[in-house]
Amino acid sequence: MMLRPLACRARTPLLLVGAALAVVGCRREERRFRESPPATTPSAVRVSALQPGTMADTSHMPNPYESSAYAQSEGQRLFGWYNCAGCHANGGGGMGPPLMDDEWIYGSSPENIYNTIIQGRPNGMPSFAGKIPSPQIWQLVTYVRSLSGLTPMSGRSARTEHMNFYQGAQSMQGAQTPKNSFRPPASEFP
Amino acid sequence: MSVAREQVECLHHSLIILLCLAARGYAFRDDARNGRFRALIFTHPMTLRMSYERRFRVPFRFLLLVTLAACTREDVASRAREPAAPALPASGTPRATVTLDAEDGQWTRAAKSLSGIRYSQLAQITADNVRNLRPVWTFSTSVLRGHEEAPLVVNNTMYILTPYPNLLYALDLTKGDSAPTKWMYNPKPQSEAQGVACCDVVNRGPVFANGSIIFNTLDNHVIAVDAATGAEKWNTKVGEINNGETMTMSPLVVKNMVLVGNSGGEMGVRGWLKALDLGSGSVRWTAYSTGPDSEVLIGARFKPHYPKDRGKDLGVSTWTGAQWKIGGGTVWGWISYDPTLNLVYYGTANPGPWNPDQRPGDNKWTSSIFARDPDTGEAVWAYQMSPHDLHDYDGVNENLLIDVPWKGQTRHVLIHPDRNGYVYMMDRATGEVLSAEPFVHITTTHGVDLANGMLRYEPSKHGRVGEVVRDICPASPGGKDWQPSSFSPRTGLVYLPHQNLCQDSEGLEANYIAGTPYVGMNVVMTAGPGGNRGELTAWDPAAGRAAWKLTEDLPVWSGTLATAGDVVFYGTMDGWFKAVDARTGAKLWQYKTGSGIIGQPMTYRGPDGKQYVAIMSGVGGWAGAIVAGNLDPRDSTAALGMVAAMKDLPSKTTKGGTLYVFALP
Amino acid sequence: MLLQAVHTQSSLDPVGPLAANTARLWWFALAVATVVYLLVIATACWALARARRRERRGELLDPGGEGRMTTGVTWSIAATVVILLVFLGYDLSVGRTLSPIPKAHPLTIEVTGHQWWWEVQYADSAVHDRFTTANEIHVPVGQPVLFLLTAADVIHSMWVPNLAGKKDLVPGYTQSFWFKADTAGTYRGQCAEFCGHQHAKMAMFIIAEPLQQYQTWVAGQRDTASTPTDSVAARGHTVFMTGTCAMCHNIEGTTAGSHAGPDLTHLASRRTIAAGTLPNTRGNLAGWIVDPQRIKPGAKMPPNQLRPSDLDALLTYLQSLK
Repeated sequence: MMLRPLACRARTPLLLVGAALAVVGCRREERRFRESPPATTPSAVRVSALQPGTMADTSHMPNPYESSAYAQSEGQRLFGWYNCAGCHANGGGGMGPPLMDDEWIYGSSPENIYNTIIQGRPNGMPSFAGKIPSPQIWQLVTYVRSLSGLTPMSGRSARTEHMNFYQGAQSMQGAQTPKNSFRPPASEFP
Repeated sequence: MSVAREQVECLHHSLIILLCLAARGYAFRDDARNGRFRALIFTHPMTLRMSYERRFRVPFRFLLLVTLAACTREDVASRAREPAAPALPASGTPRATVTLDAEDGQWTRAAKSLSGIRYSQLAQITADNVRNLRPVWTFSTSVLRGHEEAPLVVNNTMYILTPYPNLLYALDLTKGDSAPTKWMYNPKPQSEAQGVACCDVVNRGPVFANGSIIFNTLDNHVIAVDAATGAEKWNTKVGEINNGETMTMSPLVVKNMVLVGNSGGEMGVRGWLKALDLGSGSVRWTAYSTGPDSEVLIGARFKPHYPKDRGKDLGVSTWTGAQWKIGGGTVWGWISYDPTLNLVYYGTANPGPWNPDQRPGDNKWTSSIFARDPDTGEAVWAYQMSPHDLHDYDGVNENLLIDVPWKGQTRHVLIHPDRNGYVYMMDRATGEVLSAEPFVHITTTHGVDLANGMLRYEPSKHGRVGEVVRDICPASPGGKDWQPSSFSPRTGLVYLPHQNLCQDSEGLEANYIAGTPYVGMNVVMTAGPGGNRGELTAWDPAAGRAAWKLTEDLPVWSGTLATAGDVVFYGTMDGWFKAVDARTGAKLWQYKTGSGIIGQPMTYRGPDGKQYVAIMSGVGGWAGAIVAGNLDPRDSTAALGMVAAMKDLPSKTTKGGTLYVFALP
Repeated sequence: MLLQAVHTQSSLDPVGPLAANTARLWWFALAVATVVYLLVIATACWALARARRRERRGELLDPGGEGRMTTGVTWSIAATVVILLVFLGYDLSVGRTLSPIPKAHPLTIEVTGHQWWWEVQYADSAVHDRFTTANEIHVPVGQPVLFLLTAADVIHSMWVPNLAGKKDLVPGYTQSFWFKADTAGTYRGQCAEFCGHQHAKMAMFIIAEPLQQYQTWVAGQRDTASTPTDSVAARGHTVFMTGTCAMCHNIEGTTAGSHAGPDLTHLASRRTIAAGTLPNTRGNLAGWIVDPQRIKPGAKMPPNQLRPSDLDALLTYLQSLK
């Protein structure tokens, strides 16, 4: 007799937890094919954290796809299609700097990365303005940020379908701990 | 891989096949594309799928017998492509030699001589006294990327060209060891060029001619600077970075012409060699590596030795559609010149993209050697080392023009240690391959058929899109990359600096977007058999085998220098500059420089009459990209797979360019 | 209009030897199944009638019932085994006719499945004569054609029921199959392995035509795209090369060399766009370029924001790619 009310009492929170999970799960898998994310970023995207005088606004523009698993996997596909991988490899870099570490020459916020892709950078990063539509750039931003563990875990894909190139990382693409010893700062590096 | 291990592996595979057949039936499939027979084996612990040759195409009951026989055959084949055991040339036997110019104590071009042999007749530093060698002065270049260049010494001035931003320094040697800077020339190349330089922003050195220092910049300018004043004489732009073109090679001046070629075989670039007028810098002729004969400059004088290289417009017909326009074959390596035959020799780079499935056909004239008349650019012969190259085996390595006793007579040959792992010895008048012997462990091919010049490919190493192929030896940088070898007529040996790397690769569909990489391959490299990643091999061309070998932990990415003192100099990527005995390979002396060495050692006679040896220290290049570019070792495919093999380099060296000059006390 | 000439997409309307064999097997199975069905129904009715009769007679027990039960069960099992064996034998014999690849096959076509379209490469033995197209495969009538199948992303399956059975396209793996079209015509094919969102809109057309007509088509496909001469098309060419299009599509003979999307070298010669989704008209093309996600949600082609004049020029250019 004691068991029933207890179960009843437990049901509501359980339901709430279940509903919350379902909502998170849905968001993760949500596919918005025809939605137009912001076409451009706010006018003043700062690449430098140094602001003379009193610090003005330091808020970041949210990436609409930050926790979407679909956007991330699409970003991964586009990373290969548009030859990003040709320079940045699978995050470790080559002709271009690595993207899976915790060093960001031009900033790590979504709008910084967005602008880096759109504007290009003088030491070798090409400008893709007019070449890649805005929603796809946001998907690329999501994937690039996931490489160094900057996006929520829930949005990451389980594994790549290619040759396993992350040692000891059979099941999780990208890095969890973007720390790396032995590496001097890359101030002069593109 | 040892013969015994291969045999065991083969038997192991056979056993698994039989077990699978017995346990779960068989799923054999006729692979109609290449006539191979494949067995699908899902239970194999190592691999999902293995390809076996036609020999398994027999009824089941004979399978055991046949596999055993096949293992024996495999065994013979593997022995054939293993380099022969080193042996010193017997004293008294005729050895390779070369006709030398008079020694002027200078170093006017990267390879010193037009024959490209990097041999100095200066003999103050000998095998006996080299142990006393000490640094006398150094010079910081202010550049942190890979320093592959050779310093020049002309008229008691040393000229140093740095990697991007391609600063050119003139150092006055008459002021003793202080060597002050006379002038510095800054070409201010476009910084964006760094983004299309495939394997670090290196430069392989300037050349001196006609009172000018001539060099290439990363953003495709050829510049002549007055050697005395540093004033710019002419500046010609010959390429376009928006198409992925860069320039890293060291020009060669022949008959008042500056010969230059482009880089960018990983960017969908069409390769060319251009001749610029030495006086004005205007382009006299352009010889493309792909395309119709009229643009490759193939005409009536073109007489290749082998039928496979004959035919009209092969630079078009061996490609699908218009792929030859983005097919690679860049000319970023070394050029040699034979004044007697009046021919220049150079190699062309890999076809693009790396993924071979996307470019069916022989892909001429990539991975080839051209012999051209420098007056007109006309091709006299060509030979394609790696038709339809599968593994980025460029053909740009140096061609050493020497004379070798061969079957009772002296042949005028070129020695070409190729990336595909064979040292080609070719008659330099006709392009006939006299011998092609392996100098590293090779699994991708089974030798060169001297009758028709064909490279015999191993079909199982031909990966398709989405397929992972394991144990590809040599790896994409080849048995030997750009690092130039030297030749000593005193020993008759060629000193090959090279690496010992193997790789796994997976083909991907590459998309050509002008000015971005065009590769289509995931690559992961590892050390080759033995676990050492580098070697210095003294090659006896007359015998077609190594006389001796030194193993190095890291790839030997520096050039070598041979001197009349019977000393061979080279550097290692952890910063040691080394001298070894040219006859025996005995280690005589070493000095630890500030950064890893990937440069080209040179020697000169100073104004004081003393012999000096100089080397650039400053790690980088493809092999050193992990340090020069701060790459992340957790991604094994970084730097086109090189990072996987060089994970420990950051703990062994740091970046920074410095010139070191050594002398006896 | 051309689409109206398409044959009914059906295994029961075979136009080649392989499909005919399959169709015969299907008819045989139908016939046997019909006979069995009728027999079972008839037996059941007979049994019911018998039981009713006995009931009317007031008999409670059926003295020979147990014996008849054994006989019945024995016969049923025997008949089932025999029928299954017949099926097995017939099935194997049909399978045998389908599997061997004819030694003389003048034509090899490589098909790569993509989400959600078909990449088609004509693998001529002279490499320079190879060419790539998409979604529409022209074949000569009466000649066996060998197909080499693979996939770029997920498993697809090629199925042109009028010509042959299904064959899967597996990433990283090459499968082969062949067929022969005996009658000229246009035959619709369909991806037959669920491959994601737009699996249903992943169709292809096999156009079987007389040899001469086929050869004319091949000659046209081998050409590189001609440089546009009129100013509008030339502007469209610029829009294509400088904008988003060239990032994914190849037009042979131009600087656009990407293979992420279908090859457009001879786009205007195709009957449909978006893998058999829409007839290839100017209006459809415009709608597809501007908002492919309305027509085929999830398709890998992004929406493209173009100025009206740019779109107009681009359409003129694309329609000039005959």
